[in-house]
Amino acid sequence: MAESTQMEVESVEPPLPIKPTFKPLKAHEMSDGKVQFRKVAVPPNRYTPLKKAWLDIYTPVYDQMKVDIRMNLKSRKVELKTRADTPDVSNLQKSADFVHAFMLGFDIPDAISLLRMDELYVESFEIKDVKTLRGEHLSRAIGRLSGKGGKTKFAIENSTKTRIVIADTRIHILGAFTSIKVARSSLCSLIMGSPAGKVYSKLRSVTARLAE
Amino acid sequence: MATIRESGLEALKELKTTEPPVFLAPSPISEVVRVALQYLFTKLKPFNPKSPFDELLVDGFDAEQIWQQLDMQSQPLLSSLRQEVKRFAKNPEEIRNLGNLALKVSNGDDLDGMDMGGFDSDDDDDDLEANESEEEEEESEEEEEEQKEEAEEKEEEEVNDGIEDKFFKIKDLEEFLEEGEAEEYGTDRKNKKGVSKGKKQNLSDDEEKDEDDEDEEEDEEFGAFADDDNEEAEKLGKARYADFFGGKKSETKMTLKDVIEDEDAGNGNHGIEKLSTHEKEQLKLQSKIEQMEKANLDPKHWTMQGEITATKRPTNSALEVDLDFEHNARPAPVITEEVTASLEDLIKSRIIEARFDDVQRAPSLPTNSKREVKELDDNKSKKGLAAVYEDEYVQKANPAFAPATFSDELKKEASVLFKKLCLKLDALSHFHFTPKPVIEEMSIQTNVPAIAMEEVAPVAVSDAAMLAPEEIFSGKGNIKDESELTQDERKRRRAKKKRKFKAESANQPVKKARDTTTENPKTVSEER
Repeated sequence: MAESTQMEVESVEPPLPIKPTFKPLKAHEMSDGKVQFRKVAVPPNRYTPLKKAWLDIYTPVYDQMKVDIRMNLKSRKVELKTRADTPDVSNLQKSADFVHAFMLGFDIPDAISLLRMDELYVESFEIKDVKTLRGEHLSRAIGRLSGKGGKTKFAIENSTKTRIVIADTRIHILGAFTSIKVARSSLCSLIMGSPAGKVYSKLRSVTARLAE
Repeated sequence: MATIRESGLEALKELKTTEPPVFLAPSPISEVVRVALQYLFTKLKPFNPKSPFDELLVDGFDAEQIWQQLDMQSQPLLSSLRQEVKRFAKNPEEIRNLGNLALKVSNGDDLDGMDMGGFDSDDDDDDLEANESEEEEEESEEEEEEQKEEAEEKEEEEVNDGIEDKFFKIKDLEEFLEEGEAEEYGTDRKNKKGVSKGKKQNLSDDEEKDEDDEDEEEDEEFGAFADDDNEEAEKLGKARYADFFGGKKSETKMTLKDVIEDEDAGNGNHGIEKLSTHEKEQLKLQSKIEQMEKANLDPKHWTMQGEITATKRPTNSALEVDLDFEHNARPAPVITEEVTASLEDLIKSRIIEARFDDVQRAPSLPTNSKREVKELDDNKSKKGLAAVYEDEYVQKANPAFAPATFSDELKKEASVLFKKLCLKLDALSHFHFTPKPVIEEMSIQTNVPAIAMEEVAPVAVSDAAMLAPEEIFSGKGNIKDESELTQDERKRRRAKKKRKFKAESANQPVKKARDTTTENPKTVSEER
């Protein structure tokens, strides 16, 4: 190697060795054989839904992601662990994100998209980050965000291809980066007080542009 | 009168003899001057009937007052003189009459005045000025004419020196020639000439008369008018000179020309006193031609010179000429009552008809079809997010395999409905315009006559089922009907037919016709 690095301009170079190709490191090998863990806390309100949807969570994680998953009842956490045959190091993270998304309140089919696509993210923010509202105003703001029967929320979701979870004063958005931005802006405008119709019209124009 | 006259003349004589410087200082010469003035005044009195003074009042009056008196007398005199001049200008004959009288009178006076003629008298300053101005006034008109006359006289004298003689006078020649012309050509020329001559003669006589008067009235002359002295002396010597040669100035020029012309004319017509009408016409034509030639030779009028700048034409001459401009702009309409009435009628009629020329919005161009407006779905999506992205990906990657979207299904339904509708509508028009849907199958096409089609209305038959003309008959070349054939062509056709038949019959043996007439019944039975 040292020889090859010393290059003279006119001297005949010794033929370089063939560039080696390495297979991507397995999760196992990356940490030099050590096992990696992820632990996702379970909020109390999601405990029962977790119990109900446990199998839907477990199956894709264990079978497709090849990540060990278990529920630690004592600590009330979901633990994830890499196996020897975990193909990609990111599987663990993805699985953790998936579980975390479920914990935030997203449905399984929506959360599954995290497993399948790389570019999806979850963004969370609070209403008070946008505008300080107290008491009735806050309640009204929340009501505005959801709309009647949730139709405003669904409208935003459908037009921007995101999923929104409004948990009291917290708001979580799941989707692609640009979609999250659009959804966030519309939600913020709703928090700030703009009527739903205005938000709809904006959404229409935006989605038309997004669709191109 | 005689005593006054004598004293006056004496006074004038004395004034003449005095030295000029004497007048500048006050001296007893003023008395003499007054006497002289009085004499002159009385002399002029007869010509001025309206004068309020019988005689010039000089005692105790100062120069200014005397001057005023003289002024009062002279003013009407001047105007009357002017009138006289005009009169003489119109009627020259009168001058002759008057001239003789004037001459007679002047002769009488001139004898006395001759002594005075040519002396310069100098008066007292004021009187001098008074007289001077008076004289100037009276001579104002005559002066110009005099000077003109002088110049002309001088010219004429120069000319005359060469030609004129004791025996040969141009004037006489001219007169003679004119008389001759008049006889030959008619009286036109003579009159013309006579008039012009007479006019000038009048003027000259007038001047002469005035001058005589002047001599008669005032023999005081000054250095400025020294030239007059010579003239007058001449005139006085040859009293009749001016009468004959009145128009001395340009007349001579004309006379020379005329002499030449007359000579030519004279040479042209020897002895023919009266002209025939043809010749008269010819002469008239010639004169016209000469006029036109002259006009052509002269420089043209500025309007005929093409491009003219302001410097080349007289000032303000463009104002007199009627110029024609091309106006590119339409002139402003003159608003009269009729115009407004017509407009109002138009407006009223339009209102009644409700036919307004409103500006109509131009129809916007047909834009591309509206993009699919994605309706905002308020309902909870049935698909999960993953499924949504999946579908999106699939559509991008493999549009063929993409499952029909909601809008596609609607489209399908719509298209199916429309097709049904179209079918029904086409049936209404008997499928006249519809091409039959392409069904690949064998079918026997009969040549259905078109009339049959149109009478009855079968539902599902179109004339597309009819045979095309090519299918009925496909022929090439000049197809002729039976009646159109010529004899040769008929023969040719027949020959062709025969050949064909022969060719065909060569293949098939011709069946003989059965022999019904039996010769031998036995043979027939035997054959069986």
